[in-house]
Parts: sequence; structure tokens; C-alpha cells
Amino acid sequence: MKYFLSLCTTGVIMGVIYALMALGLTLIFSILRVINFAHGEFYMLGGYASYFILSTFTGLHPLLAVPLAGLIAALIGLAFEIAFLRPMHQGRIERPDEYAILITFGLSFFLMNLALAVFGPYPHRPPSFFQGAVRLGFVNVSADRLTASILSLALLTLLLLIINKTWIGIALQAVSQNKDAAAVVGINPLRMNTLAFGLGVGLAATAGALLAPSFLIVPDVGAVPSIRSYVIIVLGGMGSIQGSILGGLLIGLVESLGAGYFPDPSRALNYKTAFGLVIFALVLLFRPRGFFGRKEV
Amino acid sequence: MELELRDVSKHFGGIQALNGVSLRLSGSQLVGLIGPNGSGKTTLVNTISGIYKPDDGEIILNGEEIGRLKANEVTRRGVGRTFQVTRAFRRMTVMENMLVPALAVPSDRGHREIKERAREILSFLTIDHLRNDYARSLSGGQQKLLELGQLLMTDPDLLLLDEPFAGVHPKLMETIFEYITTVHAQGKSFIIISHDMSSIFTLSQRLVVLHYGDIIADGPPDIVKEDPAVIEAYLGEDEDD
Repeated sequence: MKYFLSLCTTGVIMGVIYALMALGLTLIFSILRVINFAHGEFYMLGGYASYFILSTFTGLHPLLAVPLAGLIAALIGLAFEIAFLRPMHQGRIERPDEYAILITFGLSFFLMNLALAVFGPYPHRPPSFFQGAVRLGFVNVSADRLTASILSLALLTLLLLIINKTWIGIALQAVSQNKDAAAVVGINPLRMNTLAFGLGVGLAATAGALLAPSFLIVPDVGAVPSIRSYVIIVLGGMGSIQGSILGGLLIGLVESLGAGYFPDPSRALNYKTAFGLVIFALVLLFRPRGFFGRKEV
Repeated sequence: MELELRDVSKHFGGIQALNGVSLRLSGSQLVGLIGPNGSGKTTLVNTISGIYKPDDGEIILNGEEIGRLKANEVTRRGVGRTFQVTRAFRRMTVMENMLVPALAVPSDRGHREIKERAREILSFLTIDHLRNDYARSLSGGQQKLLELGQLLMTDPDLLLLDEPFAGVHPKLMETIFEYITTVHAQGKSFIIISHDMSSIFTLSQRLVVLHYGDIIADGPPDIVKEDPAVIEAYLGEDEDD
């Protein structure tokens, strides 16, 4: 039982961080109706930005680099959305669906190769937030991961408050439900698109910066987290915020329990991502809309 | 309120939806916009409200050209509209639906005042008791009322209503009638698209008839309904002629 509970604790800790990253993808999809194939690269960008900031300003506490990394990515996201995605929403692109796929894939390759050119192929790791481990019941958790999880939880709560209680959040919800109806009541959908993209990639980069001290950063470090995020948003129901949070927690738990109970412990971690994919396949088979997905009307 | 359309054209591929439409509205008018299916009525409303940009021509509102503005910018200049198929925010409550336009269009009202105004409008529209229900749970007619309520929250000078009576229960239709006459009496202008001839002839001071993107008649309802071009557009040309 202790072992099971300790695996659950680890799963929840990682699940909250997964949820943060997936929430960014959900936000972008629900407002822009675009799958951001560069989401993993913004995660990578967050890690590198954090590393770069802490290498440049050596006296800075590592935690302070996290919001800065998120902000840098958000600004890049805003600029990218205005320059490359806005024309699509203005009806200036003939085949917008194909364009969205190609342009975000292009951004993904660009960012990955940019990281390779600037930081090289070798792994980097920014300094720890806090050294050592913290005892949580039956389990020792690295202080860095626990910090990342608590901050992710705080950020998720803040984001839910913004979406449900502020004017900007209500405007985002309105645009996600019907762009034309939102426009005729006075909301600028183009501005909301830009905001959602900036916020979404900022969340991915924040997740990257939060996990950077725990995992090495390399140019393709975003590949697995991005696949995981796609799985989570389909699991939760495309465009559903609650679904992303629940999906993140579920994937965190399934990966942790799957790896913990895998018969061959030496290979268990290699299959970690695959356990989530099994759940993904099952959901697609039995509830293709995901947990909170809606039927199209 | 002064609205003038000068030679407004709009086409979609090979289809000419509006063919150099010119129209002028001055002061508080209640204009019925009728025409057979596909005559360009909704395209005209979409073009005035900024959903579509005209291919040619100008739309002048109170001396300002608004034809190139975005829909949200047109709304902020005092033009509100409803849709043929209601587009209330289905996953928001009725009250939230009412607050969205009030928050989007800047005004001097405080949050409490905005809520009071929303309650007032909802009461007038007889749906105040539904204010905490989700819009998706309302009937089609109630959703039409909600859209009309949303319109008033932006305090527009010109209201464009696309088929407000379509598929509405007779009891709710009375409420919509009262809404239009009351709001018009407050000095607002209306352009109302409708296939419900008895309603539109009763309500309108002026009827504009569109056919294949052209205005074929424009004038008082009694005169327009006797116009041979209008009769022909609706009934078709006599085969013997």
C-alpha cells in the first residue's frame, strides 16, 4: 500500500506539471482552432531561457528565471501569432488548415535548430531551485520537482481564476464559443487569438523552465512533453480546460503506476510514455470525444 | 443616426450577392428588408455589421466610412445585430451572456449598474427567471430573446435583426413585437429581415425589397406590396407574358 501511495504521490506531482503544459495547448486550440505543433519547442525554449538567464545573471535566484523564461516565450509567441497566424484569421490564406499545420511545424524546426546553433547539441541544466529532497508521507520527493509542482498548481489556479472571473477570461470564452457572435458584441477576436497564443506558449515555456533543473535540456527535449500534451488534450476533450487538468493528472498517475509496477524495473522508465499512450488508445476506442469533449452542434 | 450605403457590391465566387446597393436611413426608422431566398438580405446585414467587407462601394455611418472596419469596431460605433440562427454563448449562463457585450463596449456604467440594467432588460423580455440557466438549455425562441437582450446591452443606435420571428412561439413573438416597438419609440433605428410578411408589414414604416442583389422597391409598405416588380419577384413571371 505504501508503495502504491508513493507512486500516486509522484504521479500527481508530475501530473500537475503536465496539466500546465497541456493547458497552454488547449487554450491555443480552443481559441485559434489551431494545433500548435511547436508547443514542445516552447517548452524547450523555456528551459534554455532559464539556463541562459541564470548563466548570465549568476546572482539571481533560479526561481526568478521561471517567470522571465515564460515571458520571453510569450513575447515570441505574440510576435509569431501576429506575423504568421493572424493572416489566416483575416481570411488572407487560401487553405488555412494546411497552412496552420505547416507554419507551426516550420516554427518547431526553426526553434529546434536555433537552439542547436546557439547552445550546441550538449545537454545543459540550470541550477536547482532548492537542494535535496522533501519527505511527503511515505515518499521522498526532490525539492525541485515539488517546487515545480506547487508553482504549477498555483499557476493553474490563477489561470482558472482569470478565465472564469475576469473580463479577459470571459472574452476568451466568448471567442472560443463563437467568433462572429463575440465580434458583434464588441470583442476583437484577433486580439484574443494573439493573447491566447502568447499565454499558451508562455505556459509551455514556464513548464519547461520549472522542469529544467530536474531534466537535462537538449534541443529536442520538447518532443516527449509535446506528444504527452497532445495525448492529454484529446483525453480531456479538445478545448476543455477541466479536461486538460484531469488528463494531466491521469497521465501523471498512469505513467508513475505503470513504471512502478512494470515487471522488469530496469526497463520500466523506458516505457513510461507508452503507458499514457495505452490509455489514450483506450479513450479513443471507447470515448473518442474525451472526458469533457462536446458533440459538435 | 445616419446610415448611407453607396453602390455596395459583394460577390462570392461567381455569385453576385449584392449588386451596387444604395440605401439611406436617417433618424429613427423601422425598415423591413424583404426578398425571396438568396436575394442578398443577410449578406447586406453582414456587410453593414462588418462580418463581410464590401468588394465595392461605401458604407457611411454618421459621416464615417465603416465598410472596412472589423465587426467589433462597427459594434462600438452603435450598430448591433442578431443572427438568423441564434449565436448566444451556449456554455455561458443567460446573465453572463448579457454581461459580455456590456464589458466589451466601454461605458461609464459600473459593474453593479450593468447588472441592474441586464436584469431590467431580461425582465422586459420575460426571461429574467432564467438568468442563471445556461443558454444552451433555453428554447429557440428564448435564445432569440436573449440575443435581443444582448443587443441592448451595447446601447446601439441601429439594430439589425435577421429573422427575429422565425421559429418563435406566438407568445414569444408578442414579446419581440413589443421589444421592437418600445425600443423604436426610444429613438433607435431598425433594419429587420423577415419572411413573416404579416409581421413585417405591420411593423415597418418602410420596406426595402431585394432581388438577386438589387433593390427592386423601396417605400411605404402599402405601396411596395402593390409594386409589380415585387409581386413578380415573389410569385414569378406569368408564363403567358
